[in-house]
Amino acid sequence: MLPIEIRPDQLADEMLQYSQKLGKGIENLLNASEIDAGVSPKTVVHREDKLALFHYEAPEGVKNRNAVPLLIVYALVNRPYMTDIQEDRSTIKGLLATGQDVYLIDWGYPDQADRSLTLDDYLNGYLDRCVDFIRDAHGIDRINLLGICQGGAFSLCYCAMHPDKVMNLVTMVTPVDFKTADNMLSGWAQHLDVDLLVDTMGNIPGELLNWTFLSLKPFSLTGQKYVNMVDLLDDPAKVKNFLRMEKWIFDSPDQAGETFRQFLKDFYQKNGLIEGTVHIGGHRIDLKDVTCPILNIYALQDHLVPPNASKALKGRTGSQDYTELAFPGGHIGIYVSGKAQKEVTPAIGKWLNERS
Amino acid sequence: MTDTASWTNEWMEMQQKYWQNWADASQRLFGQQTTPATAWGNAMEHWWQALAPAAGSDMARGFMDKMVEQGKFFFQMTEEIAGKMQGAAGQTDWTAAFENATASLKEAFSRLGAGDPSVHKMFAFWELPFDNWQRMASSLSPVPGDVLRNMPTEGMRSKLDRVLGAPGLGYTREEQGQYQELTRAAVEYQEALAAYLGFFSKMGVGSVERLQWLVKEAEQKKKTIGSAREFYDMWVQCCEAEYADRVMTDEYTELHGRLVNALMRVKQRMSVIVDEYLGAMNMPTRRELRTLQDRVQEARRETKRLRSELDALKKQLAGTAAAPAAAASPAKPAAPRKKAAAKARTGAR
Repeated sequence: MLPIEIRPDQLADEMLQYSQKLGKGIENLLNASEIDAGVSPKTVVHREDKLALFHYEAPEGVKNRNAVPLLIVYALVNRPYMTDIQEDRSTIKGLLATGQDVYLIDWGYPDQADRSLTLDDYLNGYLDRCVDFIRDAHGIDRINLLGICQGGAFSLCYCAMHPDKVMNLVTMVTPVDFKTADNMLSGWAQHLDVDLLVDTMGNIPGELLNWTFLSLKPFSLTGQKYVNMVDLLDDPAKVKNFLRMEKWIFDSPDQAGETFRQFLKDFYQKNGLIEGTVHIGGHRIDLKDVTCPILNIYALQDHLVPPNASKALKGRTGSQDYTELAFPGGHIGIYVSGKAQKEVTPAIGKWLNERS
Repeated sequence: MTDTASWTNEWMEMQQKYWQNWADASQRLFGQQTTPATAWGNAMEHWWQALAPAAGSDMARGFMDKMVEQGKFFFQMTEEIAGKMQGAAGQTDWTAAFENATASLKEAFSRLGAGDPSVHKMFAFWELPFDNWQRMASSLSPVPGDVLRNMPTEGMRSKLDRVLGAPGLGYTREEQGQYQELTRAAVEYQEALAAYLGFFSKMGVGSVERLQWLVKEAEQKKKTIGSAREFYDMWVQCCEAEYADRVMTDEYTELHGRLVNALMRVKQRMSVIVDEYLGAMNMPTRRELRTLQDRVQEARRETKRLRSELDALKKQLAGTAAAPAAAASPAKPAAPRKKAAAKARTGAR
């Protein structure tokens, strides 16, 4: 018996089936022109420059709403509608169902006029004013924060600088140790001349980030994925879901140059978050200054932020109430998979409700 | 859309007949060398070229392009390998046939590393990471990302160094110097690009070796790879595993940095020259705009800081004004604490 046994007639049959799927699927593909994302009803309650602060409407039938609002701090990379990408795959919807009063920051698309925005402008400026807006609106001193990926690192820095404004902190797939041995992004960042990059480009183009992220698994993400898609082409709903994800993957805002410069050098190249060498607006960031309860969630198959990069938070803060949650999935699956809807958002809601 | 649907249906029927005929013929000619995958690829290309202009969005069009392209790749590769394996049917030792089939793959990867352009198309799949780089580089530059790909480098550097090292002369010597810098940066970029591609060709050879190992393992476990798709998935698995191992090495991280830095140096030299021209035409340069952007941002920071202080002072004043009034009025129940008030307003527990 040969280990590869594909007769010419079998191959021909497979080719015929592939063509038929493409032929039948073309209709579904062409009809799926309008791709929507961001499904839960929301209102813009605060704007500043390109930033918009959304407040999500409470769904009917949810009793026992948490009195302490929850602000989601998304990364500057990619767009925050990932958290609410479709009706049955929505972290925000799940959080609302647990009684959270949810706000979300959309940082917008920076252009060259935003080139000199610094981490200080983002964290002690935009983010702090959003937090103050919510505190004023609710007449409370402290709110809950949920930081996602880079937004989680931002949230940690913010909590260290403004501990009096945060009641509980949830970090999701958040890098803390930026130099774990399995961190591909970090390896690639070490030899970049970041000053040359930022001085030349001004802002860092989204295309450069897309290339970097696709390069993590190039054959799966730019080849095999499309072959797998052929099998789904006969289902219009699946086609639309796939295209929605595709839209999100390539919807990469440019990065404000000065913020990128500091983030790459201080966080990725110097590993300053755990070394205690990051300075933002005159504050030295010391994770020991983060004293509120922390729920740290990481994904076991995360190829962008390896689990060890997130787990490094344990024991490094000043919090007496630290909880970890490991999710059996990837960096994106933790928001959009069916399993995440059942496991992750209910766990966050329960943890927050017990502490607010 | 109705026309498209009708056209597609006709095409599907034609395909059905074509492949049925081919499958019948191949069964009769079992064991003989044929090239159905190439024929399939051509048919798909014609079909999609006819249909693509009607495709609505760029996304849908790009999407279909990739599905057709990947289909062509994996059928052709399977045909190549499986065809040679069929030749070994009946033999007790199939490994020689398999190694013969994969040897040509290895050899082609070596040619790829040596810059042989004839193998680029054949290895479109393996070049996915490189192709991604070219697309990205093109988006940042007025010239195509692969413009310097096949520029010869051997012996060129020393000659260029002599030319580029010569001092500029006369009234335009500064301008000459800028173009010399740009040319030098372009040569360095091309060298970095060649080194990057060379690294990928080594990875290709490593992937083929992994494939050989996996196929042998399949035989030991009495498993049979029975479809092109299964074989393709195995190939992707080998490529990703080899890639993941190699891109974490110091050699690769240095190459990666060198490539991005070299592209940036080219862009930086181009920006200097563009700024010179803009200045000569009495138009605002990028350098000037950045100075203005920095000053505006600094002024905005200051304004926001002052506004914040003003708001705090207003609140403080309002509190001071309210305090005497409260003291003068009859005693009232204590005001609820802020958190409790919030709970009350939101109807919370």
